Amino acid sequence: MAQPNQEENFMEEGNVAIINVKFMGDLRALLQQRAITLALPPGSTVGDLFASLCNSYGEPFTSRVFSGSGALQHYILVFLDGQNIKELGGLGARLGNGEVEIVMLPMFEGG
Amino acid sequence: MASKWVPTACGMCYVGCGIRVLVEDGVAVSIEGDPNNPQNQGVMCAKGKAGIMNLYNPHRIKVPLKRTNPKRGLHEDPGWKEISWDEALTTIAAKLDGIRDDPKKLYVQAWEVTGDCFYWLLALGSAFGTPHLMGNASATCGKVIHPVEFFSGGGFHQQPDLHYCNYCILIGTQFGLGARGAFNHITLDMAEARARGMKVVVIDPVGSYAASKANEWIPIRPGTDTAFALSMLHVLLNELGIYDARFLKHKTNAPYLVGSNGRYIREPGSGKPLVFDATDQRVKTHDDPTASDPAITGAGEGGRPAFELLREHVAKYPPEKTEEITTIPAATLRRLAQEFGEAASVGATMTIDGVTLPYRPACVDWAKGPQGHKHGFHQSWPLKLLNIVMGAVNVPGGILSTAAAGKRPHRWWPEGGTDGLLEEGGHVLPLPHPKAFPGRTPTKPFRMDLAELFPLAPHFHTLLPITCQDRERYGLSYGIEMMLHAPTNSLLGSFGDLKMVESFYQSIPFIAGFAVEINETNLFDDIVLPFPSYLERSDFVAGTNLLIPHCGKDDWLWQIRQSVVEPPAGMRQPQEVIMEIADRLGLLGDFYRLLNHAFRLKEPYALQPGQRYPITEVIDRMARSWFGEEHDLGWFREHGVIRIPRDVEEAYIGPFLEARLPIYLEHFLQRGEELKEVISQMGLEWDLSDYRPLSDWMPCPSYNAIRNGRYDLIAVHYKLPYVYGSFGNENPWINEICERTPYAYNVLVNEDVAKAKGISDGDEVWLESPATKVRAKAKLTQCIHPQVVGVAGHFGHWSPGMPIARGKGINFNSLLPTDLEHIDKISTALDHCVEVRLYK
Repeated sequence: MAQPNQEENFMEEGNVAIINVKFMGDLRALLQQRAITLALPPGSTVGDLFASLCNSYGEPFTSRVFSGSGALQHYILVFLDGQNIKELGGLGARLGNGEVEIVMLPMFEGG
Repeated sequence: MASKWVPTACGMCYVGCGIRVLVEDGVAVSIEGDPNNPQNQGVMCAKGKAGIMNLYNPHRIKVPLKRTNPKRGLHEDPGWKEISWDEALTTIAAKLDGIRDDPKKLYVQAWEVTGDCFYWLLALGSAFGTPHLMGNASATCGKVIHPVEFFSGGGFHQQPDLHYCNYCILIGTQFGLGARGAFNHITLDMAEARARGMKVVVIDPVGSYAASKANEWIPIRPGTDTAFALSMLHVLLNELGIYDARFLKHKTNAPYLVGSNGRYIREPGSGKPLVFDATDQRVKTHDDPTASDPAITGAGEGGRPAFELLREHVAKYPPEKTEEITTIPAATLRRLAQEFGEAASVGATMTIDGVTLPYRPACVDWAKGPQGHKHGFHQSWPLKLLNIVMGAVNVPGGILSTAAAGKRPHRWWPEGGTDGLLEEGGHVLPLPHPKAFPGRTPTKPFRMDLAELFPLAPHFHTLLPITCQDRERYGLSYGIEMMLHAPTNSLLGSFGDLKMVESFYQSIPFIAGFAVEINETNLFDDIVLPFPSYLERSDFVAGTNLLIPHCGKDDWLWQIRQSVVEPPAGMRQPQEVIMEIADRLGLLGDFYRLLNHAFRLKEPYALQPGQRYPITEVIDRMARSWFGEEHDLGWFREHGVIRIPRDVEEAYIGPFLEARLPIYLEHFLQRGEELKEVISQMGLEWDLSDYRPLSDWMPCPSYNAIRNGRYDLIAVHYKLPYVYGSFGNENPWINEICERTPYAYNVLVNEDVAKAKGISDGDEVWLESPATKVRAKAKLTQCIHPQVVGVAGHFGHWSPGMPIARGKGINFNSLLPTDLEHIDKISTALDHCVEVRLYK
């Protein structure tokens, strides 16, 4: 599995947002990582973060996280500073210097 | 003598009826139904009444155990030794710590839905980071009904609307008569519906309890439900011309134009599917508000409406042709179709509480039976289509989706999505629901259960015994190294061929699990953790009222389970045990994040990292968070249940749903093509024939085995109301019922067939499948299809920890061959009709 760049070259020190990302559920096993720290341009959104992660981790990550229509799969939960991004504007939510948790849950089942 | 009645929730099966327990001097002496609880309206079943005998079962496990015999097998004595809780949890935490850098090596077998344990085990597994979380019990049941229902109804399960239905066809289910969620509620509703004249037609290989109450029982050859359904559709759509055109035009994808490649014709740019508006003879996007009369017949823009393709497709299944497959006479099928179509009253309306709604008092209900086949998805889906073409979905009299929408104490509602179709199902807990639309992109698997190769399935555990035989074949370079499990006896009920399950469990170096008594699954445990009786437990989720409550306008409910007697010294609540394991691993914060989300806990009720809680405090937080400060744990301890009124919108969501239902599964083509590429890259042989947008009948292996003469009978499983979904096999009262009826521990054989074989009633016989050969006692009856052997319940125990159940009846699942050839490539259901020989 490819690993993400810890910082992008175009960013100058002091002009970046430091984002701590924690993976839970299937993603922890898939990515073989519990957490990473990323630097993104100030004002970046959750969508920007996912674009960076998709670029770094490639198809195995992208295909599990997004449906064909480009929306997050229903089993993907994203918390920004402890709050579900559905309550913050979804992928458009601003990251700030946030703590992000990305969870891939099992489909809650039955029968 | 101190005496009191304590309200709580039954835990003898997954339903969770409201009960009151009489406790005298700390001893539970009687159980009765709670008349104030809508879940069962005061009624109880034999299992519930017998619960006390489970509580005082002398063979219950009350202390942690560890095995001393390193050899594990179906018939190996584990050599149990009592140990302390600290030793047990230290051992488990150390084993988990050993695989935490590769968490996918953990497999959690979590099914036990009488209380919270299910959700808590899944949360622990997710916090740990494993994808191998098994959240369902059966190797078939639930594999199709939930994925279908979430994209074609909006909720978890389906129920006929017994308040208004006049014509109810039950296929492979004993709904309201012998089984299903909210059983004791729907049993009363069913009785009232039959009393007011609702006709019940049961189509089933076995003349079961449901058949005995039906107006008509029609035996069908197992594994031929698709043929029956497609033939019914043909008669309705092509011969009788009965269908709800208005509903199909505006509430389904029937008008979507489909090209010669099977795909929707889409608007360039937006990619939206197109329809042909008959009003102004123009092609428009499906969501164009000016499309007042989207055509479902004819052609336009190089494509044809999906409905036209469906009608043309089902014409391949005239009753004369399907009679040879199903054994249902063509005349009978035509009569059923006519009765069903006429009863549906297409075009009729009714007014409830001032709201005018479509009125479709006819429906088809199905459950376990059609799902358990090699092509289980396509055996089941066209049965739902029968309701959809009549517009009999989520309207009075039709088929209703369980718990699909609600407004109190939270709002949850199904929503449309991709291509305007129903995509997001409704559920009171904000958890990912099992659904088959739009599916996932297949990829090369890293999961041991090959979930990535089943992009439309929600369940995968049936693959585990298969892949562990040859991991390299699937590109898997690791194995499951640890299993945690709930007290459910999955070895007997969740898989097939016992030799395959034995081999799978033997391949796992360390297994720890909860136990009520030492059942056959526990025989493989390295560590056993005692699990309290439901009469000693506290649960916020107490049964399946959140998933499969009764439908219609009757009050919904929330109940909690409280302990009515003190547990044995040293017994611990399972939630607190799971919490301690998370804490020992340093995962408490992640674990709480998931629980807080699942149970919608926010400040000031959210569980705080760094703290451990008694389970009673957790339930108190949940209760106050959901129902307000006045409804704390103390309130629930006094009242047991809170009744929640449902309005018309919640009861009949169909007209209020802003999404279309599918009749044509276009996305199956896309997923099939994607999967073809993946399996090609992997060099696998894989049957892709199920990835088709319109169902066809495809035979099960047993059908072919009969035709080529290798076997002469097909064994099927059927349910008994007094042992269904329960912890009842070791209960002496339940055993007494099973011994007094000839239909539990014996196998059912058609009388004429048995006599031709020289078999008399009560004879000892051999029942031989490709997987195993078992000894059984024959019960001769006319109430079974002549090509079928009926096996009830999940019996056939041999564990020394179950001395009452030991040596009685047959374990049906052990008869089932377990390989990829017997797995439905859409749903992962294991084929549950198996070719057999029966002889003395």
